[in-house]
This record gives sequence, C-alpha cells and structure tokens, in this order.
Amino acid sequence: MNEVLILGEVRAGSLDKHTLELLNIGKNLASDLDGGLFVVLIGDGLLAAAKEALSYGPDKVFKVEHALLNNFNADFWLESLEQAVKQINPKILLMSHSFIGMELGPRLACRLDTRLTTDCIDLSINPARGPGEDGLLLRTKPVSGGNAISVFKCQGVPQMATLRANVYKPAKTADSQGEIVDMAPEIDESIVRVESLEIVKEDVIALDKADVVIAGGAGLGDEDGFEILEDLTRVLNKSFNNVMIGCSRVAVDKGWISPDHQVGLTGTIISPDIYVAVGISGAIQHLVGMVQSKKIIAINPDSGCNMFKVADYGVVEDYETIIPLLAKKLEELS
Amino acid sequence: MKKIRIIVCAKQIPDPEAPLSDVSVDAENKEIVVDAPQVINPFDENALEAAIQLKEDTDAKITVLSMGKKVSDTVLRKTLAAGADELILLEDNAFEKLDSHSVACVLADAIRKIDKYDLVLTGRQAGDWDSGQVGLILGEMLSLPCISLARDIRIADGSVAVKKTHPEGYERVRARMPALVTVSNEVGELRYISRTRMLKMLRGAASISSWNSEDFDVACESLMKAEVVELLSPSDMGRDCRFIEGATADEQAEKLAAVFMELR
Amino acid sequence: MSPSRIMYWKIEDIWIFYVLAALATVIFLTGLAVHIRVWKKSAGCLDIPFSKKGLKRTILDTFSGRRILQGEISAGIMHLLLFWGFLSLFIGTSILSVHHYVISFLKGTAYLVFSLSMEVGGIMLLAGTIWALIRRYIQCVPRLEKRLEDVLVSVWLLLAVFSGFILEGLRLACHQPSWGAWSFAGQWMGGLFSPSMAEAFYPSFWWGHAFLTLSLIAVIPFTKLFHIMGAPVSIYTRESVSPVIPDIKDGPGEFNMEFNLGDLIFFDSCMRCGRCVASCPSAGAGEPFSPRDFIQAMRRGLWQKHFPSGDIRFLTRHEESKMDESFWYCTTCRACLEVCPIYGAAFEAIIRKRASAMEDGVRVPKLLNQTLEKIFNYDNPWESSRRQRGAWAKGLDLVDLTKKGAKAELCYFVGCTTSFDDTAQGMARSVSKILQIAGVSFGILGKKEPCCGDIARHLGELGLFTEQMDNCLELFNKYGITQIMTSSPHCFHTFRNEYLKAPFKVRHYTMVLRELIDQGKLFFKKGIKADVTYHDPCYLGRYNRIFDEPRQIIRMIPGVRLVEMGHHGADSLCCGGGGGRMWQDLDGDAKMGEVRIREAEATGAQILITACPLCRIMLEDARKATGLNETLQVMDLNELVLQALEGADAQKNSNPDKNGIYSYKEKQK
Repeated sequence: MNEVLILGEVRAGSLDKHTLELLNIGKNLASDLDGGLFVVLIGDGLLAAAKEALSYGPDKVFKVEHALLNNFNADFWLESLEQAVKQINPKILLMSHSFIGMELGPRLACRLDTRLTTDCIDLSINPARGPGEDGLLLRTKPVSGGNAISVFKCQGVPQMATLRANVYKPAKTADSQGEIVDMAPEIDESIVRVESLEIVKEDVIALDKADVVIAGGAGLGDEDGFEILEDLTRVLNKSFNNVMIGCSRVAVDKGWISPDHQVGLTGTIISPDIYVAVGISGAIQHLVGMVQSKKIIAINPDSGCNMFKVADYGVVEDYETIIPLLAKKLEELS
Repeated sequence: MKKIRIIVCAKQIPDPEAPLSDVSVDAENKEIVVDAPQVINPFDENALEAAIQLKEDTDAKITVLSMGKKVSDTVLRKTLAAGADELILLEDNAFEKLDSHSVACVLADAIRKIDKYDLVLTGRQAGDWDSGQVGLILGEMLSLPCISLARDIRIADGSVAVKKTHPEGYERVRARMPALVTVSNEVGELRYISRTRMLKMLRGAASISSWNSEDFDVACESLMKAEVVELLSPSDMGRDCRFIEGATADEQAEKLAAVFMELR
Repeated sequence: MSPSRIMYWKIEDIWIFYVLAALATVIFLTGLAVHIRVWKKSAGCLDIPFSKKGLKRTILDTFSGRRILQGEISAGIMHLLLFWGFLSLFIGTSILSVHHYVISFLKGTAYLVFSLSMEVGGIMLLAGTIWALIRRYIQCVPRLEKRLEDVLVSVWLLLAVFSGFILEGLRLACHQPSWGAWSFAGQWMGGLFSPSMAEAFYPSFWWGHAFLTLSLIAVIPFTKLFHIMGAPVSIYTRESVSPVIPDIKDGPGEFNMEFNLGDLIFFDSCMRCGRCVASCPSAGAGEPFSPRDFIQAMRRGLWQKHFPSGDIRFLTRHEESKMDESFWYCTTCRACLEVCPIYGAAFEAIIRKRASAMEDGVRVPKLLNQTLEKIFNYDNPWESSRRQRGAWAKGLDLVDLTKKGAKAELCYFVGCTTSFDDTAQGMARSVSKILQIAGVSFGILGKKEPCCGDIARHLGELGLFTEQMDNCLELFNKYGITQIMTSSPHCFHTFRNEYLKAPFKVRHYTMVLRELIDQGKLFFKKGIKADVTYHDPCYLGRYNRIFDEPRQIIRMIPGVRLVEMGHHGADSLCCGGGGGRMWQDLDGDAKMGEVRIREAEATGAQILITACPLCRIMLEDARKATGLNETLQVMDLNELVLQALEGADAQKNSNPDKNGIYSYKEKQK
C-alpha cells in the first residue's frame, strides 16, 4: 500500500483543470513512494471522464457511480468516498482545495481518523531517515495571511491534503496502461441529513479562473479608478487568456465594486499567473488571497507600502499616470 | 415557542488586519511573531452576528465557546457585550498549538458537557492558520448535519434553513436541528460594540466560566500538536522586488509593458 | 365729536364671539402646554437656568431680527415687516380690549395715534406676507420649501390682514368720519363701497375677520407658526458649546436620553427656513443630506414618541421621515450654526444621534466600524503600526520627549493624519524645520504619541473618546508636558475645548508662527511672488475663531498677494474631511473638496493655502480629480512659510529679481 489516490472532479463531462494539477503532483509523489497513482471519480455516468483520466497515465481509475451521486451532495458523496477509500486503502489521498474538497476533506479525515492539511501549495515525501520516519507527507502551506510559509507533518493513514488551485502545472497525457474499476457504493436516501432545496444561480466573477488579475484598492481614490483598470484589462485580453478585475476589501466596503471581485481572507484566494496590485497597501488579510500568485506587480505611489515587500516588480508612480501609458504601450506591442 | 440554544465557537487570534510591519517570522522557534492586538477571528464574529440576528427573531440563548492555552477574556467579553448570554473559556496548557482535529475533539467534548443545544455555529475558517477544518470535523464528531459556508441562516419548526455559498451562486438547504453550520462573511460583520458597552461588560459581573481539562471529559492523550517541520518567511520565497524606474512615466510604462510581454 | 370707534357696531349675538375667542385661547394655550409637556417628557426635565446673557441675546435677536438680517437682507426685512406688523396688530387689539373692558381711553389724539399705528402695522404685515409669498413662489428662493403648510399659513395670514382692511374700509364707508385720513388704507378701501352696501356687508365681514384671526391664533402651536413662541426659548437656551462626555464608569445608561433639552426645543421651534441647507457643504455638493430634513425628522420622531396622536404639526403629519442613515454625511463643519436664526446646532444633535447609533451598534456603517476598531487597536485610523508613528521624523534630529532625560519646552503633537499620510507628512517636516530655524526648544512624542480622540468624538463614539482623553492626559502628565503645539486644528480643538480638563496650554501652529514672527525669531529672507488664497479650516476658523493669524502670516511674506474666495472666514466651505468623513465613502453629485477647489481656481490664485492636514489631503485629491494640476497648487501654510524662509529647492532654477523675490509663475514652467 504505497499508492497515491486523488479525488478527481468532473465538470460538464470532462475532468476539471485542477484535477489535472493533482494528477501531476500525484504522479511525482507516487514515483517518490514507488507506488501507484489512483484516481477516484464520483458521480453518475462517468465513463467518458474515466477514460479521459486514464489518458494521463494513472494505474487505476475508480469509478464510483450511483444515481444518487449525480449532483454533488456532501452526505452521499462523503459516504461513497469513505467506502471507496477504505476499500482502496491508499497511503496518500489528495483533493483540490475546491468547493467539493473543502467540504469533503475535513469530514472524511475525521471519519478516517486521520489528519488533513488544507490549501497546500507544495507536497513532498519526507525521506525515511531513521526508524519511525516512514516517509510521511510534507505539506507546505501559507499561514498568517501569507506572512509565513509553514511545512507541516502529520500522523495518520491515509495522509491527506487539499491542494490550492493553479499552483501546479496540469499533468500531460501519458501512455495509458491503467484500468477502470467500477465501484458501487452502498447508499440510500436515508443517509441524507442536509436537504438541498435549490441552487440559485447568480452572476459570479470566478476570479480563481483568471490568468491575470488586475486588482485595485483604496489607492484608486474612487470607483472611476476601476474604469482605468478596465481599459488595461481590455488591452491585456489580447495577449492573455483570462484577465479579470480584482480588488481589496476596502474597495468593496466603499461600494466601488461588487464583493465577488474581492481577493483576500474574506474574498477569493487565488494564485493567477500575474497579479497586478494597484493602490493596494497590503494588509495581511489581502495578502493571504494573492501572495501565491506566480508573478506579482505592485503599482503604488508610496514606495514604503507593504505590497512591494511581496512583489516581483514594483512601480512607484501614480496609477492614473502609469496605467493609461502602459495600456498604450501594450496596445502597440500586441 | 421553545427556547433555541445556540453555541458559537470563537477563536482568539492576532489581528489579521495588522500592518505587515508588525509581523515577523521566528524561523528558529518556528513561530510567527505578531506584534498586534488579539482579536476575535473575523469569521467567528460573523458567526456570532448570525447568532445575534437569530436571537432577535426568536427566543434564543447564545453560548460562546473559546479554547486556548491562555484566552483573554478582555477580548472575548466582546461577545457578551454584543449579545451572547454566556461565555465558556476552555483553558489548559494541554490545549496549546493543537491541530485542527484535536481542537475539534476538545470542543466536541465541551459541547457534549453543555449537553442541550440546537445549533452550533463556527466561522468558516480562522484568520491565522486558514485551515477551515474545525467546524466540519466538529460536526462529524458530534454526528450533526453539517452545512458549510452559510450566508443566511433562518430557524423554523425545528429546522435550520441556510443559504450556502455555491460556485454558481447560492444553494438553499435545510436540516433538522441540532445541526452545525459554518458561517461565511456574507452574513455580515459583527455589529459595532461601543467602548462604553465593552467597559461595562469588563467591569460588571458577567456569566463567564472557565473549564480546564479536568472540568470536562476530554480525552487528553489523544490530542496532537500541529507539527511544524519548518517555518519560512515570505522573503525566503525568493521574491525580491525589482523596481521599474525611468526618467519619465512613459519610460516606466514601456519597461513595464516589456515585463508583461516577457511573462506572456 | 372726538375721534373714537364704536365697539361691536352692528354685531348681534356677541356671546358667540366670546365663545369663539375663549375657544381659540384655550386651543392656543393647550397647544402651548402640550409642547412644554413633550419637552419635559423627552428631556426628563425642564431645567432652564437663568442667564442674563441669554436674556439679553433673546431680546436683542427677537426684536431686531439681526440673526435673520445677517447674510440675507431681503429675508431679514421681510421678517421684520411680518414680526413688527404682527406684533403691533396683536398689541393694538389687546389695547383695544383694555379700552373696551377696563378703562376707556382711546379718544381724540390717542385714538388717532392708535389708529395710525394699526394702519402701519397692518400694511407692514400685508407687505411682509406678500413679500414672503413672492420669495417662495415667484422668486423661488432655493432654500425655501413649498409644502402645503407653507402656502396655507401664508394665505391664511394674507386673508386675515386683507379682511381686516376690507372691514375697516366698510366701517369707514358707512361712518365717513372726519379723521378717516388717519386710516388711509382703510379709507381708500372704503372708497370702493357705497355706504348702504358697506352697511349690509359689514357684519358678515366682521365675523369672517374674527374667525380668521382667532383661528390663526389658535393654530400657532399646531403649525410652523409655533416658532413665534419657540424661537425665543431656543435662542435663550442655546448656551455655549459644552461637550457631552459620558461617565464611562456608569456605562451606557447615560444614553437613554438621546437629545438634551436644548436640542429638543431647537427641533420643535425650527420653521424650516433652510438657511442651514443653503450653507451645508454636503447638501451643496449634492449629497443626499440636509440638516433641515434631519431636524424635521427628529422633530417628528420626538412627537411620535411622546405624544399619543403623533406630530402636532397636523399639516406635515403624513410626511415620511426621510432620515435614515444620512446623518453620517455631516462633516460637523459648524456652518449651519453660523446661519441658524435660533442658534440651532444641527451638527451637535447629529453627534448625539451618532452616539446613540454607536451604542446600538447595528446602524454603524462598515467602514466606520473598521476605522474605530483600528483607532482602538492601533491608536490611529490609518491602517498603520504604532511603531511607524515617528517615521516621518527620520533624519530631522528631533527630540523624543518620551526618551529618558529628554527635555524641551514645547511638545509638538503631530496627530494621526500628519504622522501617517504621505501628503500630510510634509507638513510635519516643514513645521519642524521652521521651529528649528526659529531656535525653538521642542520635541515630539514619537511612537508613543496617541490619538487625541477627535474622530471618535465626532463620530459619536464617546466612550472611546473618553479613554483616549484619559490616555493623553496621563501621557502628558507622565512626561511633564505643559505646552503643546498641534498641526491639526482637530487635535487643537479637541484638546482646547473638548477635554474636561486641560492642564496644559495648547496652540495651533499658526498661533505659534505668528508669535515667532512677532518676536523676530522668523523673518522672511526670500520672497515669493504669487497670488494665494486661504482656505479656513472649520475647526480653526468657525470653531475657534482663528481667522486672522493665518492671513497675517501670509501677508507678511514679501511678494505674496492674498486674494479671498467667495466663501471665507466664518462662511468658509468645508473640504469634506471632518467629522469622520475622511474615513467613509459617501457620494454626492460632486465632492465637497472639488466644489471648494473650483472656488479657489476662480480667484486666479496660483496657490491654495490651508492649515489642516485633512484639508490638505482632501483639496490635493480634489485638485487631481478636477485636473487643475497645472494651474493651482495646494500647500499648507507652514510649507509656504518654509519656502519663504529658505527659498524652496524647486525655485533654484529661476533667479530672484532685484528685491530678492522669486516669481512663482516662473517656477511653474
């Protein structure tokens, strides 16, 4: 039992992008452990997704299917996953730090009497140096608003962690010699404790899907500042896939922009390729939401502001001056 | 109508609004040194606000439960000033630096001792370690229906109806009480507690009890500390700000544009 | 036959008149009593201490109408006509009763004088009423509302006076007395009727006139006319501004009474003249706030709470109370108090309203909640660490008074905004340099400097304010500080007027500079050739009446010419930063700072001078927002003074003229 099991998520019939990231890190861990890589999928009518998963080269894809699992319901899913994990008995169990993973992770860890570390940005195997050091999972995670990076080690089987989105690159397809294993969970209506009445759809800005986020804070001065950022967004959209507007909490509290744009502790936690912080001083509760971005560019007239301490690039200038000029230059280049 | 008993779990943490310059990392002792005042975890404040709103509509009793090695009642009395009826502090050296599972374990034992309750509310996560686990584990341990990320909570006919945050909007769910709900910030910030109100609470007699590990049945030997192998400061992450300079803003813009093109 | 009048001529069933008069008097007195009862019920007491000053002010204001004349002569004259017209007719009628029932004396010359004064009084009242109607409905003066009550009361008055003249005319037309010319208006009116016609009409007009006047008296307590009774009381009770500091040992019990008696009498006496709205910078910038609406909402609230049948002003009873949360808009600039004829301090009532909202907790806006938490946790509202408080002083070699053995005569209290804000920090540096040039022995409190409490005080967080006051007093005591100079007029005002005790002398830096110049310790070597205009900060000017010192300093700088904006001195327009507004984000059509900066621009000045960090920031932001970067510069007074003392670096490129004066315009190029 040196296997790594990952919980795959299926979105509109195909594998979620973040599941591919899990496959990538899972593969690395499996090879370090000299064990297999397994994927477990939960739902109904999963054949296509299972085949897709297989194309990334895991050893097994467990297909946990039941009519009751069609939509995500934490009670059904948790029960089914628990049964599957107990049967598969992996050494490591990984999930995305997603809506599903955030709910199932802690509850499953409790049921399996093991310890979970959430929202990790890196995972590795502790080399077995001495007796008792049996190669546990090292879980790296930003804490205290990104002011520190902590590496945790926990006891328990399986070793469980949820992985932050967009930190790892997605896995590439590989030779598939694995197999699809069908599993039938023993569940029925009676185990549901929380009844879902309806899902009310709202226009939500899915910041976590953005490649580039241009975020504005108190330094914008007023809501018109976001129009200037919008102009930059339009230009950047020609060179990047998914450019979105983010903001700090102050901007939301001031009513300049809707809360779904908010990055930080009380907003969305993201790690896009490029994060541009405009007029954001960098309180801890904001940093926690963006400090893991691949590249951080800070624009602020105050050279002493905290944001520069976590940025890769800094421009000490008034945004109203620099952003329109930048948009113009980018326009010329693209 | 029957009196509803609500338990709110609140954690005391260093202010997550603190300026960055007040925070440093002690890598040697693997500790984060925060020179900022202690506050109640903002998400737990949201949970408290939700409880107080429920109390405004129905007959309810709110008990606040807080755990730690040394819990400052000057901080936590704010919950009483805000409208909670009772504060129970779980203080013991054994409760220091526990992992999420063990924290939930202690809380679960305390809640079992309280015995009568209809609703347990916790914040969706804490602003220091950002785990987001304790609430859900607690629900499992107490075998309660668990609802996470609540943005609106109503009580009717022995059931709790919740609007929970969903990737596409929100989901309306319902569960029989007793139940556990983790509360998200959409519920609203805790109302303002004026200093006069706070000082009155600090000076006056208040319903506060302190329990240590002997006061209630807690399986101490099973508690585990969170094991930190290494603690790094963000500067160790290899970020070193390169300031883009130029004689004119135009020149700066040109260089910055080049950076974007490079990152493409 | 000597001139006189036949009483109740041709009037039968006179007892009906007596019943009506008695009824009107009873209604009037009952209304009056109800007002006083409601005041007592809501304030808990009716203690109005005797004040000679108050009495003098009341008499002067009431009879001269000086507060109303002030600022708007047209309105003042109109009110004088109404006031003296109404008063003379009222007194005249009373005299007539005395003459009829007690002692008959209105004969001959006495009657003629009486008759003439009544005539003049009537004409004044008539003219005043017509003028009032013209102002409101033809001229459409913006501050005047057009409610049902306004038209009804005016027309009522008009009919009462006019019917009086007709009545007089009818009487004169019948009797054709030889002394008719003394009642010239009535005489003229009488010319329109034949004697027989007049005789036929007279009784019905008499009854009509009697009904109109008696009912007018009766409705006084039930309409805005109540100000006739209330305004003098309000003027009398308005004593000097006294801070409301809760005794925090007793907790929030103090706040059961939201408003004090003075507030309540003010609310109840307000007759919606709208001068406060015209002077309010928030309303002027198109924000959804008006002091008048606040006062009226509070007045209605008062009646709804303490009077079983609700608002006593029956004509406005069904209006909705618009006052929701808009009282957070008030910048506490004090402009409304300057113009209110009855000294109504709406901003103080607003602070008390905020105080009760603070105790309540639920109605505190999110941003204020966070700002107050920050002030409590970090002793400043600027999201900054206490440790960074003295960071601006780096390299200036200043004495830190909290260090062991440090000594200095003067403590420079920098203040939160001046300590932390990038723009305002320049003020701290320049004033320090000026003091160094003048050789003043001074020091700062460094990172131990606390917040003075201004923001908490004016946001109504009085408990927090009291704590901060105690902190400051303790700190000053600990380090033996007796002389304080502040950068901010807000700290200055708070120390000087809001602290319960102040065992220290506090001055704003403009006062210190003035003294240093007088003592010859500062003299301007270099001149600056520029037109400047000066923006009076509310807490320096209106609150502390310091209008001249800054202007004197400006005029002493060689080459500088001071031009005034339309609003200046006590009439200055607020920048929009006071009363906690700096830490809120409330919107109107324009920003108050932008309104102000445009006014500064209109003077043609190159530099706008202020003497307050909040004004400095707000106006600088407004300058950027309005795109006036090229033509106008915003500076603090001490920054200008420092330039004149040492010649700013920026001017190195240009050469002084033969008098050693730098030209500011050249610098701009």
